[in-house]
Amino acid sequence: MLKSKVDEVLKDINKLPAISSVVTKVLEKLQKPDVNIAELAQEISKDPAITASVIKLSNSAYYRASKPIRTVGEALMTLGTKTVKEIVLLTAAKGILSQDLSSYQLEAAQLWTSSLLVAELSSKIVQHKKLKIDKDLAFTSGLLCNVGKIVLSQFFAPVMMQLKADLKENKDPFPLLEKKYFGYTHMEVSQTLLQKWNFPPELVDVVTNYLDPESSSVNPLLTSVVHIATILIVVSGIGIDIGGESVPISPFALSQTGITESDIETYFVHIPDLQAGLADLLNI
Amino acid sequence: MSLKPKIINVGIADIKVGKDTEVLRTTLGSCIGIVLYDAERKIGAISHIMLAKDPTGKDCIKFPHKYGETALPELINMMKDAGSNLGQYTCRMFGGASMFKGINSQFLQNIGEQNIAIVRRFMEEKNVPIIVEDVAGNEGRTISLYCDDGRVLLKKAGMEKYLYKVR
Repeated sequence: MLKSKVDEVLKDINKLPAISSVVTKVLEKLQKPDVNIAELAQEISKDPAITASVIKLSNSAYYRASKPIRTVGEALMTLGTKTVKEIVLLTAAKGILSQDLSSYQLEAAQLWTSSLLVAELSSKIVQHKKLKIDKDLAFTSGLLCNVGKIVLSQFFAPVMMQLKADLKENKDPFPLLEKKYFGYTHMEVSQTLLQKWNFPPELVDVVTNYLDPESSSVNPLLTSVVHIATILIVVSGIGIDIGGESVPISPFALSQTGITESDIETYFVHIPDLQAGLADLLNI
Repeated sequence: MSLKPKIINVGIADIKVGKDTEVLRTTLGSCIGIVLYDAERKIGAISHIMLAKDPTGKDCIKFPHKYGETALPELINMMKDAGSNLGQYTCRMFGGASMFKGINSQFLQNIGEQNIAIVRRFMEEKNVPIIVEDVAGNEGRTISLYCDDGRVLLKKAGMEKYLYKVR
């Protein structure tokens, strides 16, 4: 059992993926209803990489701003605070998720591509089913579900032989094997990371329960949306990893969202079109 | 001097043709990767189909590579354009995974199986032998076709192996 080694890493902030403090502060400020745009712009501008990304993406075809945007302030005024928050989180997530996780059998930007697609599909589902969830919230919630895999991926080597044998015999959901070998599922590690980053409870709840939406305590509807988006992206092969298609679609999530068999088919078939529409974001 | 092979990613609902030192790569869940390879001319292709047929009958006009019924004839045409004709290549097929239990969607359960069936039927009609199949199960697969000798590197469930059979 590698739990004690995983515990060591989880306790050492220097060994964990880091996120710019600007992201946490922006999320904090946007939790309050009376957010001050000038203060928000000033906060974002403290991080040059995020500032550059906000301006670049605000002018991209994906966000379709009505006029050219030159500053963070203009981005906030033109696109709104929620969209700029989405861009800030997107930029931070790209920094963390742009890596090969060969132990999870995820390579060549698959982790980033699949995370972005889960985010986008979650947002589309909310709009299509007219659910009472903000589409930007659905997007950001879908983005970081796999972040815990980055921490666990470094522990595969010593147990890989046993793990392979287990994978052949055992058809249980892969997170059960993560728990068996590492003492934690990737969802539990994601939960720890997002809590360390002071992310809002709603986002922490989604990453913790996205494969078991029935356990969601903060927002089961949002978690159900991200669950269905994740399963579809996995089935398409874009987000499939060493665990394969081992997590079935949750009946709870289907009943929460009202998603039908025909909706599933439509969402699945349009995944490539969704991916094509994300070209600007995939290459930030 | 050894040249680094050029890796060409074959996306979802995509077809790519390669030759000589080029390597075609794709990742599959329930989708199917159809690999054609002409060992004499060192020409290969991968088609990554999502569904056997277009349920709407319209989407396949805009996106023919998504569906087996429109992608497979296109695959044959693209091999021909690259200089390889029917009878000069073989087929290998990968993917078609499906969930094992607790499935609450008939659609998700059947995708893999239907995809496998349409490829078998099409290749039989065209007399293209399917010499290797690694399909079904619930594993994700990444396949890489090396066009210099036709070997396929298959990665799934934490293992990887080269498949050298090309004729």
